[in-house]
Amino acid sequence: MFRSFFIFFILVTFLTPCQAEAYHPTPEEIELITKIEKDTLQYFIRLSDKNTGLTRDSSRSGSPSSIAATGFALAAFAIGGSRGWIPHDYAYNRVLATLKVLKEDAQHQNGFFYHFLDARSAKRVWSSEASSIDTALLLAGALLAGQYYPGTEVETIAKELYERVDWKWMMNGSKFICMGWTPESKFLPYYWDSYNELMLLEALAVGAPQNPAPPETWHAWLRPEGNYNGHRVIYASSGSLFTYQYSHAFIDFRGLKDDGNDFFDNSREATLANRDFSLSFAGKYRGYSENSWGLSASVGPGGYKAYGSLPGGATHDGTIAPYAAISSIVFTPELSIAALKFFYNNYAENIYGNFGFKGAFNLDKSWWADEYLGIDQGITLLMLENFLNDGIVWKKFMSLDAIQKWITLTGLAGKSDENASESPSLEVATPTASPLPQ
Amino acid sequence: MKGNRRRHFFINKPLQLRYMLSVTVPLLLICCVAIFGFYIGIWGSVLGAFTNEAMRDDLLTASRMVEYEQARYQTAHEGFSLLSLFKETEKLGQRQREVFHEILNETNRAIAWKLLLLLVLTAWGTIYVSHKIAGPLYRFSKTFSDVERGNYRTRIFLRKGDEGHPVAKEFNAAIESADRLLSDLKTAAQNPDQAQALATIKAKLDPIKTSADV
Repeated sequence: MFRSFFIFFILVTFLTPCQAEAYHPTPEEIELITKIEKDTLQYFIRLSDKNTGLTRDSSRSGSPSSIAATGFALAAFAIGGSRGWIPHDYAYNRVLATLKVLKEDAQHQNGFFYHFLDARSAKRVWSSEASSIDTALLLAGALLAGQYYPGTEVETIAKELYERVDWKWMMNGSKFICMGWTPESKFLPYYWDSYNELMLLEALAVGAPQNPAPPETWHAWLRPEGNYNGHRVIYASSGSLFTYQYSHAFIDFRGLKDDGNDFFDNSREATLANRDFSLSFAGKYRGYSENSWGLSASVGPGGYKAYGSLPGGATHDGTIAPYAAISSIVFTPELSIAALKFFYNNYAENIYGNFGFKGAFNLDKSWWADEYLGIDQGITLLMLENFLNDGIVWKKFMSLDAIQKWITLTGLAGKSDENASESPSLEVATPTASPLPQ
Repeated sequence: MKGNRRRHFFINKPLQLRYMLSVTVPLLLICCVAIFGFYIGIWGSVLGAFTNEAMRDDLLTASRMVEYEQARYQTAHEGFSLLSLFKETEKLGQRQREVFHEILNETNRAIAWKLLLLLVLTAWGTIYVSHKIAGPLYRFSKTFSDVERGNYRTRIFLRKGDEGHPVAKEFNAAIESADRLLSDLKTAAQNPDQAQALATIKAKLDPIKTSADV
């Protein structure tokens, strides 16, 4: 009898499929996360040009507008409007005005926008490149906004902007997508040829209705594997946390299998590796601790750098970017919320302001960023929204024809429909239920 | 020691005043040129770069643009720079360091020729001033050698503006007196009347004090 019971116990313990528990944030945590998301939205309201809608790259005086930040702004306005944080009509009109400027005035090359535009004239500044990744982030924001306002002019213009992009041209005859093009030097000598934030770009390029990139380009880029502290990761060369987050702000990779690779799990492992890496240097840098982590590209005492961990470049000097840990909330909710609370409770005076968390801090050098970056605020807002609001951004974005086309053409074993059916509610998340696994 | 303390600051007031002038005026000149050079060189460059807020913003934005590129493409590795000796530059961006490095280089180039001019001026001034002392000293030395060799007709002739005119004047007077004495002795020695000659010589030598009188 005992023997049978023991065998049953062993079988139940070890053979039952491991089901990850969803993390349930407390009402106080929900309140704080919501506050941060609402405050972060203010960046896009205040720092987007009132006429063109183009969003400044940084809150720093004299900063030009960035098309990536503008893409996040389009998403942010749509989210803010849907949440009732800003009036629906106001949000819609801001999004529409911005899209009209992008369509009619903003300087572009074959549909690819220049990385930095003058916020007033929408003309190219700082000899910036027509950027493939930043155009992808802009289009993702525009298409997402179109999903929030289906059947409207917003959706129409968003699709027009998407359709006019010549993705094949940006491949410059290679099997990879080029990073950019300038009128002076033509194609940059850099290509998206290895894992990083490229997946969103690849998805939009392959799934495009006009001049798409061939599906082979999805399979062409390298997937280098590395291991740090037991975390096996397909890693980005910089090891920066943002590279594991940007694509996941829009695309729900849960259940999508890429030749056996699960990029959602990959980002979770990368986040854990990133945290472990900084913890291993906790004795050297005062800013690193159990709840203070997040090595990612950010401003720092020595300027903007691609901070990161192993596996990858592992450039670090004690600088922590709060957005990095926070934007991993969908991968590591408990750890990210603990970090978020730690940053807010201990450093709010220095690092938190009207637009949410500022860029970064470095305790060893007594340095606190005095600026916000548009892309940092954007990834923060979208990830928090996905976490708080039942993966709403994912659901809307995944239902785009282009994304479904990309999944089909690249042979990704999609279970996105299942995910959608698992969490059909688009209501604001309740304090006791978060849809995301820990 | 107390007895050796100088009681008079001015022993030879005109000489010392001239020296004070000849030292202080070039020093003042050097200081003025140096201050002017540094002021124009350094502050001119710095103020030029930060003329107004817009310029500053442009500078920061330019540095940020480069940093973005370097973060994305990960191409550049910062080499050794003299600026890295300054701890303050730790908080500057890479592009900012490059800009400041360039400003310092331009400043150095701008003041280099001024420093060269200063060096030439200083060298010329030193030679000019020292010549007024070295020249007379040389003439004194040459005259002493002449006297040592028995040439009492020699005199010290100094240029106008040379130092040592009073000393030379006194020395010339002394040597002239000695020359006259020796001439008289020589003339007396040529007198055929030996007794008168000896008496004359004795009379001439009597007032002369020498080591033989001890």
